[in-house]
Amino acid sequence: MTGGVLFHEQTARQRLDAITDQGSFVEFLPPPERLTSPYLAQLGIPVSLDDGVVIGRARIDGKKVYLAAQVGQFVGGAVGEIHGAKLTGLFKAASRDGVPCVVIVESGGVRLHEGSAGEIAIAETMRAIFECRARKVPTIAVIGTDIGAYGGMGILSTCCDFRVMTEHGRLGISGPIVIEKWMGKKAYDSSNRALVWKTSGGKTKYLLGDADALVHDAAGAVREAIGKLLTRSSPVTLKNAKARQKDLEKRLKRFGKTADPDDLWKSLGVRDIARASLASGPEFVTLARAGRK
Amino acid sequence: MKKPSQRSLLGKLFGASAKGVAIEDSLLTGYAQAGGKDICVIGTCSGTYIGNAAALRLAAHVIDCIERHPRTPIVMLVDSAGQEPNRADEMLGLASYFGHLLSCLELARRKGHKLITIATGKAVGGAFICYGMFADRIYALDSASVGLMPIEAMSAVTKIPVPVLRKLSKTMPALEFGARPFALLGGVEDVWPTDSDLPAKLAAAIAGAAVDDNRAALGKKRGGRKLALDVRNRVLAESRR
Amino acid sequence: MEKFAKAFPSRSLRVKTSKPWALAGVVGSGNLEVLLERGGRQSDAMECHVETSIPGYKASWLAALADFARNYPAGGTKVTINDQGAPPVLVNLRLRQAYDHLTKGGK
Repeated sequence: MTGGVLFHEQTARQRLDAITDQGSFVEFLPPPERLTSPYLAQLGIPVSLDDGVVIGRARIDGKKVYLAAQVGQFVGGAVGEIHGAKLTGLFKAASRDGVPCVVIVESGGVRLHEGSAGEIAIAETMRAIFECRARKVPTIAVIGTDIGAYGGMGILSTCCDFRVMTEHGRLGISGPIVIEKWMGKKAYDSSNRALVWKTSGGKTKYLLGDADALVHDAAGAVREAIGKLLTRSSPVTLKNAKARQKDLEKRLKRFGKTADPDDLWKSLGVRDIARASLASGPEFVTLARAGRK
Repeated sequence: MKKPSQRSLLGKLFGASAKGVAIEDSLLTGYAQAGGKDICVIGTCSGTYIGNAAALRLAAHVIDCIERHPRTPIVMLVDSAGQEPNRADEMLGLASYFGHLLSCLELARRKGHKLITIATGKAVGGAFICYGMFADRIYALDSASVGLMPIEAMSAVTKIPVPVLRKLSKTMPALEFGARPFALLGGVEDVWPTDSDLPAKLAAAIAGAAVDDNRAALGKKRGGRKLALDVRNRVLAESRR
Repeated sequence: MEKFAKAFPSRSLRVKTSKPWALAGVVGSGNLEVLLERGGRQSDAMECHVETSIPGYKASWLAALADFARNYPAGGTKVTINDQGAPPVLVNLRLRQAYDHLTKGGK
């Protein structure tokens, strides 16, 4: 364990070490392989030896897992050709070997500097994720930082069996600044952190059922949540697809006209908005459960 | 290459059977024929935005096809500007709505439906990722706008001057916008001239569709995406040890 | 971008290390990554390769690296740096972190 260090403050490599059995992480295509982006090099932008994603194998509670962690500080964790190919390869290995696969997402989506190459890579990774799901190999997205999971990586996260979020994480497609530019500051003030987190943050995603666990902003809590999900899977079946269709239709009907996240919270069982806003992930879960009774 | 109107385009693709495809709020759903065999059609037109409600309607049609028309090929037409930046949609989980649409398409694939995409108009960024790029095989009309974004838009966001991007795009087709450079990356199987025999091409595409994702191999062969396949294979080799 | 490489005299790194490389830092605004590997070309020199987004500071880079090579036995290692405008104090810290990781293990 890492004492008082928050999950969102750790680097990608620290996160991987902190959520796996001590010393068990073995990196695939490690930095000495020097797989750096030729696109960034040509554009005169600094490259990184792991191209912004660390992948490998490790054990969690003795169970073998494949893991990836995106490096948010490096071009916003965005997916380029090499970065994306590492992710695709990892999920393909997971489905081949029947080993659960965890991706710690910290990315704004496609790396614009690599144009369509990153876009196709995300699509390929989605296909690989569904190969895992067809074989009942668990896939888990962990979302726990400010950068969160946006753009194509937001969609990719929803393709996994499960999502573990912290109260710090955000999940969406268009980020607040893009929406503010589009709709105007009156409709969405991207500097209003409370509104931004109530729109895309872990608490709202948990209430809606889009995050399967909402945990403390700490590696230990993330690890525990992953551990519980490693033996489960969420198969793509007609029954599940129809249930999900109904659920999403109901959600749209019930809240489609609501622009106010507080209304949404209240309808989903949160009685004391102010208290819930300040609550940690697990406290929030308790409050919401109590309110639904 | 003049962009054909939606109805005339549907006619070009599906002939008389195009009348089985409804256009409502720029969303396409219905059943038509290709090569004398039934197909299911979902899609977007007029460069429309696609949000939670649109994703649900397309997903509902995919479910309908799975339930009522087992193994019928699904043809996806793409002409959409992507998601409209909208706070309410985001709050309700737009990513999850797209994820659901993708899950339904995956279910169809596993149940033996072939999935073919034709990019007919705008097939940009998120609009393409949320269903079209998920097909078994993907095609584009030569009049379609395919790619992450045009160079001008890329320049505006990255602050890299347009001439620099344009020059680099000569050797790096990933930076170039359009169906042909996208094909060089393996992102589309083939580019179809709008005035060619589209029904014949579609029938052949359906007959030849396979579920393996061949895009990285195509990208390497065509030289537009030289690294992806090798990097992926190295991960597969290292993880085996 | 500015790119340069140079080897600096250094006492040979004698400690056994648990793994052949160590990485410190991240490429991000005001930050850098330092990869330290065993297996440089000469056993009595620290071989350095630097890429930085801020040109014009080659002299200070060389001075900082020469200093490090003098103060720590790093002969026989290879240093690879990708820099996005890190301040000198951070450069020193990352070099030391990478060195500690390589020689003592840990992250």
